[in-house]
Amino acid sequence: MEKLVPIEMNINYQHYRLNVSPIKRLLDVLREDLDLIGTKECCGIGECGACTVLVNGRAINSCLMLAVEADGADILTAEGLSNNGRLDSLQEAFLEKGAVQCGFCIPGQLIAAKYLLTQNPHPTRQEVEEGMAGNLCRCGGYERIIDAVISVAEKGEKQK
Amino acid sequence: MNLQTVGTSPHRGGGFERITGQQKYVADIKLSGMLESKLVTIDSAHAKILSIDTTDAKKIPGVRLVMTSADLPQPVPRFGPQIADRPVLADGEVKFHGEPVALVVAETIEAAEEAVRLVNVQYEELPVAFTVATALDPAAPLVMDASLRPDEPLAKTNIFKEHHFGWGEIDDSKADLIVDNTYSFPMVTQFAIEPHAFIAAPDKDGIAVWSTIQHPYWLQKILANLLNLPLSKVRVYAPDPGGGFGGKQHTKYEPALVFAAVKLGCPVRLVLTLEETFQAVRRTSCDTHIRTGFTRDGKIVFQDITANYLLGAYVDIADRVVAKGSYAGAGPYNVPVVRIVSRSILSHTPPATAFRGFGNPEVNWAVESNIDEAARLLGIDRLEIRLRNLAEKGDKFIPYDKPSDGNWRQTVLRAAELIEWQKPLLPSHHRGIAVGIKLGPTTGLSYSLVRLLVDGSVIVSCGTSDMGQGARTVFAQIAAEELGVPYEKVNVIMGDTATVLYDQQTSASRSTVLMGNSVLKACYSIHAQLKTRLAKVYQIDESEITVEHGKVKLPDREAPIAELIKSALGKLGGEIVGVGEERKDAEKDHPLGGSACFYEFNCTAIEAEVDKNTGDITITRYVTVSDVGKSINPMQVHMQDEGAAVQGLGHTLMEHYIFDEKGRIRNLGAADYRILTTMDLPKEFYSETVENADGPGPYGAKGMSEGALLCVSAAVACAVGDAIGTTIKDLPLTPERVWTAIQTQKSISSPQ
Amino acid sequence: MHDFEYIRPKTIDEAVSFLDVHGPDARILAGGTDLLIQLRNNDIQPSFVLDLKNIPELQTGIQMKNGFVSIGATVTMSELIMNPLIDRYFPALIDAAEVVGSVQIRNRATLVGNICNASPAADSAPPLLVYGAEVIAVGSKEARHIPLNDFFVRSGVTILQKGEFVASIELPVPRKKMGAAHVRRTRRRGHDLASVTLCCGVEETGTVRLCYGSVGPRPILVVDESGVLADERASEEAKAAIFESMFAQASPSKKSMRASPAYRLAMLRVLGRQALKLALERLHEGGK
Repeated sequence: MEKLVPIEMNINYQHYRLNVSPIKRLLDVLREDLDLIGTKECCGIGECGACTVLVNGRAINSCLMLAVEADGADILTAEGLSNNGRLDSLQEAFLEKGAVQCGFCIPGQLIAAKYLLTQNPHPTRQEVEEGMAGNLCRCGGYERIIDAVISVAEKGEKQK
Repeated sequence: MNLQTVGTSPHRGGGFERITGQQKYVADIKLSGMLESKLVTIDSAHAKILSIDTTDAKKIPGVRLVMTSADLPQPVPRFGPQIADRPVLADGEVKFHGEPVALVVAETIEAAEEAVRLVNVQYEELPVAFTVATALDPAAPLVMDASLRPDEPLAKTNIFKEHHFGWGEIDDSKADLIVDNTYSFPMVTQFAIEPHAFIAAPDKDGIAVWSTIQHPYWLQKILANLLNLPLSKVRVYAPDPGGGFGGKQHTKYEPALVFAAVKLGCPVRLVLTLEETFQAVRRTSCDTHIRTGFTRDGKIVFQDITANYLLGAYVDIADRVVAKGSYAGAGPYNVPVVRIVSRSILSHTPPATAFRGFGNPEVNWAVESNIDEAARLLGIDRLEIRLRNLAEKGDKFIPYDKPSDGNWRQTVLRAAELIEWQKPLLPSHHRGIAVGIKLGPTTGLSYSLVRLLVDGSVIVSCGTSDMGQGARTVFAQIAAEELGVPYEKVNVIMGDTATVLYDQQTSASRSTVLMGNSVLKACYSIHAQLKTRLAKVYQIDESEITVEHGKVKLPDREAPIAELIKSALGKLGGEIVGVGEERKDAEKDHPLGGSACFYEFNCTAIEAEVDKNTGDITITRYVTVSDVGKSINPMQVHMQDEGAAVQGLGHTLMEHYIFDEKGRIRNLGAADYRILTTMDLPKEFYSETVENADGPGPYGAKGMSEGALLCVSAAVACAVGDAIGTTIKDLPLTPERVWTAIQTQKSISSPQ
Repeated sequence: MHDFEYIRPKTIDEAVSFLDVHGPDARILAGGTDLLIQLRNNDIQPSFVLDLKNIPELQTGIQMKNGFVSIGATVTMSELIMNPLIDRYFPALIDAAEVVGSVQIRNRATLVGNICNASPAADSAPPLLVYGAEVIAVGSKEARHIPLNDFFVRSGVTILQKGEFVASIELPVPRKKMGAAHVRRTRRRGHDLASVTLCCGVEETGTVRLCYGSVGPRPILVVDESGVLADERASEEAKAAIFESMFAQASPSKKSMRASPAYRLAMLRVLGRQALKLALERLHEGGK
């Protein structure tokens, strides 16, 4: 059996010390060891974005990262978006705009959207399309996902 | 009727769980002592299994079971919704690329994967039939063992069944123009973002199964038969699937898992990879030969359709797909003579099953493309030719079925208006318009249980699966409306055959109508009981009380039900329970076993640009208009129709299985099977509904959500045909295919 | 995934000595966007995975030195896209980096990794070849400067020897004014593997450097010094003739499922014209 490797991570603002198998992907550790089931697996090869999480503020596919690589990292998953029961404005917008159908891709979509808006708080529609292209939605809810992201960006603008 | 909740768009039921990452899909469920499993497959589409050596695999630490068909009861049990043709595990022969020959169960997924590699399968490759042509070749190997259908005259062929529909006698001389073409529709897969997942566990003297299934009660029946258990001892949990689209309707690997769980006495889980889902479910591909006769002024004289649908190695529900998909093949038109022959052809490919549109899109694009070609040849406007033939409300356009149940002209005209059909276009832009029709369910049975609790909150329990269509929201809205409670106070319980009443299935866009009516009836039953209680409490005659649409009218006042429930229930409190039953019985002499409950009608119109150098299609405007009778939840209706459009653009523009010469699928998974992304959408998108409250469902609703997928291919192909001056007859319309068509046109118009 | 041991060296020397001993049993991990797929699909079963990301000597980022821009082994596509030096001197490389995978992939995939995989469809290869990139390989012997054009052997195979790995890529800052652009063909507009890639660089002298990929076992670099392509007065026929000779080495595989050879060859010509036009525009805008 492979050697376990001790790692530390901050996940959703909480500190974790774990011993992980080197062959476990970050996705596996989140889902299986930590019960953070909001991060989903579909394609397993970085094509669908269902497993998107933020690692040190950057959106990545957690199916293409070994857990050991995340040693020392700050990680945000969909579970960490809401704070003390208060929803993130993206979460609210997804509900409000009807972006949620089956819901399986939604945690990944939300994280990708979160990243997009931190990089570019006032994206054009085309920039949202490009920024969200790594997240497949087979229910075909793209128009509404894009609307939701834009509505949050616009709200942010008004608050300024 | 003054509606409060119905017709509004509250947040999706289950939405909060989905945006916070708390929604539990099957793959998210952990049971104590649960083992993991993996399927063992071979890299062949058709092979005789000579031996399976599991010795090395069993030596891997943590491996608990390597189960082959030899470990199952003999003869190997078979199952299937139409015919019990599918063995629990491959039985001596692999009949499609990806058919499992064994199941490995281990303590960890890594051990299972390691063991899978060490299962040594010796096999001999056999000839493969994986296209319509090779399957129909008289020399083709027989896919289905003839002994499985001893009384069937076609048993010695690869045709599972041949269906004949139509009326009148075709007479070519009656037509001024006959358009004769053959169109092919590709093999595509449902590609739900949630791959299929299953858990089986012993449950006292029975079994419990968790599955990403759309039809839990059908699975329950199949498992009870296989294990010889009473239905009451087979409990199916069906958490909301992460997308179904038809691909999760029927039993897949649950039986194998159940046998393993029983053998081991503990829970066993199987989560498919996306690649494995490609080998588990797909849409029927189809070659449609169609001859359409027209008069000079564009009236359709006859439709002569032969549709060869390619099924997989096992029938699943695909022969029903063929029958129901081709039956209304002549479209929503008044056609005096129709001849439809559709064949269910077995092949060494993954089992085809239901997929949104249920066999209709395959034929629709041929029929609509032929009409476009006729318009071009006859010099008639392409919208006009459709209007000239379109059935009016009440027309018996299929003589032995339900007459047209909608003002379809209104739908078409609205779509034409939104695409600005009459407005001149830039020379580089082109338009296409097409209509589609699909029968709703032909039979059905849906029970529901509605509980009005003492505090004025409500629990609705019903066996529909909410796989994204938003059934939870719709049923909660209906109950809220009828019981006069806020939407937020309704809880909808689904997905457990042991506690939720029977529902036949979640398919054919039926649930809003059939389960919706069932919930409505349960609410009516509560109304009646409430009336009796209130009469007692107030000591007045029941005739002095009216209870409807959430309100109670007493002789001296009127109040919402929720306000009076407490006094109606009195000191003991408790609840009022209503049971609803909605039934659509079979009709003995009907060619499909039952007539349409309603029709889904849609008109799709698009505007596109075609790059002649590359073959790229850019959809600049997309319009979809559906006749839905009444939107219970307008936002969800639009979500469904937009989604159907995007999905339809997939098989229209880019999706298809690619096979090698041995019938193995080369583009398994997400790398080389392309579906649309956010960057592939139409530039402008308009979704509208026509609502005349003329459906059989609650408040005049019809079923919806498949309609908007039916004619996507035709609408796009017609615009492309207009752009390049020729109709492309094979989908998907990849840039390469469009470019090739342009090159062919060039060489025809300027021969060297 | 098959069992392996995870090794995290702290120095280049440490990595090199490990590879010296375990070379064939070890795989190098930087961005992981290709490696993890190969591991998942069991295409490879290494005993060791060597993560280079914690070696400070390799974390050199993007820097200018002696007329070269050096790009370190851990630089991701996203970092490349955001970098002002790259934007100033090598915009075609940004064209290419921007279309590698999705945002999530670009946040992890490294330029060096993209090159080391030696995929004929690698997006970054054509611009790097057009810009005259060199690969700096380290190993047990002295570090080697390898012109990128000599680096690629065929699909999946590079000139790297046992125990060697790439520490950085160096791009000479163009001495003459130059405009360059990278374009490609895919099956959809969203992220996709390319069926044809092409980069065109035009110098103010009229010299055109063209590199195309995915139409043969490795990317092809060709140079035309006739000046015809950059000449506004030259006829379309004359330009077409030059392009034809430049595309002579294209030999697309018949086996690919992404596009047929006929379509790839036709698209090569479309892309050639498209990239040339863009490159000339950039040249006239002042050289980019």
